[in-house]
Amino acid sequence: MKSLFHYMPRTPLLVALLVIIPGLTAQAQDPKIQLSQLDHLAARANETVDVNVDERLIQLAAKMFNEKDEDEARIKKLVIGMKGIYVRSFEFDNDNEYSSADLETIRAQLRGPGWTRMVNVTSKREGNVEVYVSMSGSEINGVTVLCAEQRELTVVNIIGPVDLEKLAHLEGNLGIPDLGIRSTKKPKDEQ
Amino acid sequence: MNEEYLWDKSGEPDPEIAQLEEILGTLKYKPRPLDLSDQVKPASRNRYLPLLAIAAALVIALVVGLIWLRTTSTKDDHQQITHVERPTVPSNPPSSEVARQDNEQKAAGPVNETKSSVVARNTRRLRSPKVIAPSKEALEAKEQLMTALRLASEKLSLAQKKTQGPATPNQIRNQHKIG
Repeated sequence: MKSLFHYMPRTPLLVALLVIIPGLTAQAQDPKIQLSQLDHLAARANETVDVNVDERLIQLAAKMFNEKDEDEARIKKLVIGMKGIYVRSFEFDNDNEYSSADLETIRAQLRGPGWTRMVNVTSKREGNVEVYVSMSGSEINGVTVLCAEQRELTVVNIIGPVDLEKLAHLEGNLGIPDLGIRSTKKPKDEQ
Repeated sequence: MNEEYLWDKSGEPDPEIAQLEEILGTLKYKPRPLDLSDQVKPASRNRYLPLLAIAAALVIALVVGLIWLRTTSTKDDHQQITHVERPTVPSNPPSSEVARQDNEQKAAGPVNETKSSVVARNTRRLRSPKVIAPSKEALEAKEQLMTALRLASEKLSLAQKKTQGPATPNQIRNQHKIG
């Protein structure tokens, strides 16, 4: 009985640790980032794209792709393993409508464990493009693209396995109307 | 016989009536407290009996339901699997054979074209495959997904172009190894 009472106070602590630690680890490895900190920019933006597609919606949408169509079959194959796609894109009429603090709210999350910055292009004239990947073992389980131009801010957060090469080569093959957010910069001769 | 005594006990008692009174008087009402403890015992009731009855009823209902479901599904499967056979007819029987068969049929009188014992009929109406119309939610999800993919693809392509100039195959794949 002495040994039982000796271990009794430790038991709840042990149970709590067993419950909390896996939860914290799972949270640390979750490649979903919070984009809601950028929502206040929508009031200043000329055009806003806000996409929240979770796993259920991806599966639902995947059923809508026509597998007989080559492009749609390719897209379906690409998205079928994804667990979520979240996008915030803001296009502004004027320069510097967003602050570095806005970018920092996103970057701070991407400094967490699991994330690696794969690409970082800094250009004072054209803006910054950063690509972060979250790895699970040797496989990508999350991608975040942060594109900050003078009049445009775009954050794309993809959760799940992603083939970056195939995703990058989808451009121009999706057959969806141009949203007019491709680039806010005008050629020099027009200016 | 003195009838007055018989009616209201007035007058002289009749000896015969007095004797009867004496005999039956032992059976007359005697006031005493009611005591049922020895004679009548309340029936002993099990407290858990109602609960047991409810539990038993639930278990029986569950078992019956499972059996019914299994039976129904088995019937469905059987109905679906039933293969409808039709009597095979030779594609090009010889004309002499056909003529002989016609003559035999005419001689035998009217006969059903197909024997019911040979043909297995699926009496249950087969369910027609449901045509699922694309829901509004699914269409919106697809639209959102395409928008997100377009943006992601555009920005990734931009990053690729900015980092390594003109795109060549396997550039991003090679970068995975570095990451």
